[in-house]
Amino acid sequence: MSKQKKILLLICAFVLAGLVSIILLNKSHSVSKAYITNQGEDSVSVVNLDTLKLEKKISVGKSPLGISIVNSKDIAVVGNIESQSLSIIDLKVNEVIKTIPIDATPLGIVADADGSRVFITSWFKNQILVLSTHDLTISEAFNVGATPSGITFNENYNLIIIANRDENTLEMYDAESFKLKKVLRVGSHPYGVSTRNHLVFSANVYDDTISIVNLQNWEQKTVAVGMHPYSVAANQDRLFVANSQGDNITVINLNNLQEVKLLDAGETPENIAIDAINDKLVSTNWGSDSVTVFDLNTLEQIAEIKTGLQSRSFGQFIYRK
Amino acid sequence: MNKFILFLVTLIFSASVLAHGPTPQKVQESVTVNVSPEKAWELVKDFGAISTWLSSAKETKIEKRGEDTYRIITLESGDKLDEKLRSTDEDLKKIRWEITKGNVPFTDFNAYMIVSKGSNDNESVIQWTARFYRVYKLNPPIPEGQDDATAKAAVQGFVDSGLAGLKKVLESK
Repeated sequence: MSKQKKILLLICAFVLAGLVSIILLNKSHSVSKAYITNQGEDSVSVVNLDTLKLEKKISVGKSPLGISIVNSKDIAVVGNIESQSLSIIDLKVNEVIKTIPIDATPLGIVADADGSRVFITSWFKNQILVLSTHDLTISEAFNVGATPSGITFNENYNLIIIANRDENTLEMYDAESFKLKKVLRVGSHPYGVSTRNHLVFSANVYDDTISIVNLQNWEQKTVAVGMHPYSVAANQDRLFVANSQGDNITVINLNNLQEVKLLDAGETPENIAIDAINDKLVSTNWGSDSVTVFDLNTLEQIAEIKTGLQSRSFGQFIYRK
Repeated sequence: MNKFILFLVTLIFSASVLAHGPTPQKVQESVTVNVSPEKAWELVKDFGAISTWLSSAKETKIEKRGEDTYRIITLESGDKLDEKLRSTDEDLKKIRWEITKGNVPFTDFNAYMIVSKGSNDNESVIQWTARFYRVYKLNPPIPEGQDDATAKAAVQGFVDSGLAGLKKVLESK
């Protein structure tokens, strides 16, 4: 090998090492935070998922329930049930920058793929409200079926998917035309709904099951879980279900739909979210006014952190930076 | 006259604005009892024994329906309540149940009690948490007696008198 080649190789190795360390450094420096709506005290708690500490409490409107973190815009949209408004939190400074009266009761909240729009189910009026994150105003509203509760957005199929709780159905709307594309009967009393790739999951509160819908062929499977499941979240190979009256979380293998483990959570765990950066799972515990944090690799509990009265956070509540 | 109607409508509307939406109500109370957690748990987990410590529960009958255990409570008023045992956890000393039928001013009631250790071996803390909704769940205006406040007051009454009753019975044993 010539001297020149050796030097070139050495340079390459250095550059590579540099790149690797930048990537590693970035990963270890990325921070995840959970934003927890406390419906009993009109606040949002900020929990740092690195330090496992409560960082701040932010006052919002009355009786906050739903939330959606819009990562690309560094905002959280919080739905206030009693004051019929949305609180917009700037996640860089953790302060409310705008309160938007909506004359509606906001339940589920979800952002689209690029974060330019946020969709909100309006419980009593049977509508979906469309919030533009560009100017933080409600730009549109369209009618949907009765008792719209959970909402999710499927990027691959460009669908807004909602659970119609008292109808026992899921409705799927085209995210551009807002036209109804499909109605599917699922289990009894679907509340939380989420999606990953071509799969849609609904938590069916009254029959203690999860419905799994395949968007490719509309095939449906049902999995039995714990008592009164409220929400469901999936990563690449597992499904996590918060059993609100079981005080636990069912972990399911997505390949064979068998239960992997039952995790003890705090009391009345309602909602869960996955922190893919730190490999953590977080449940919001309405009964014990706390969140429980689990290690996704070991499936062990890491911490329970007090948050505020009646912690709920219905929606994707983890911010990653 | 028109003004009066307008006034009434405004009144009804503004009252309803205070309480709409599907918000679960919570009552959570604790009592410290001067007996060991084991002793307290023995009574708390005895699903059919509620009439011994809840004064408004005149009579209680245990009923098996398939695999499930129910208690049928006859209240002082003569009304009946059907309650289903959801789970009993010996390790956590936790019992969970729900009301499945009954003429009460609240709905979707489920509750749990946890017995934990107090400041010494002969002291325990009994915590009772109840989750429920108001009777009227549709669009406002909400009919009188079916609102959040009414529901909460009724459950608060049960919980307060129940915990006081548990303390009295346990400490007099």
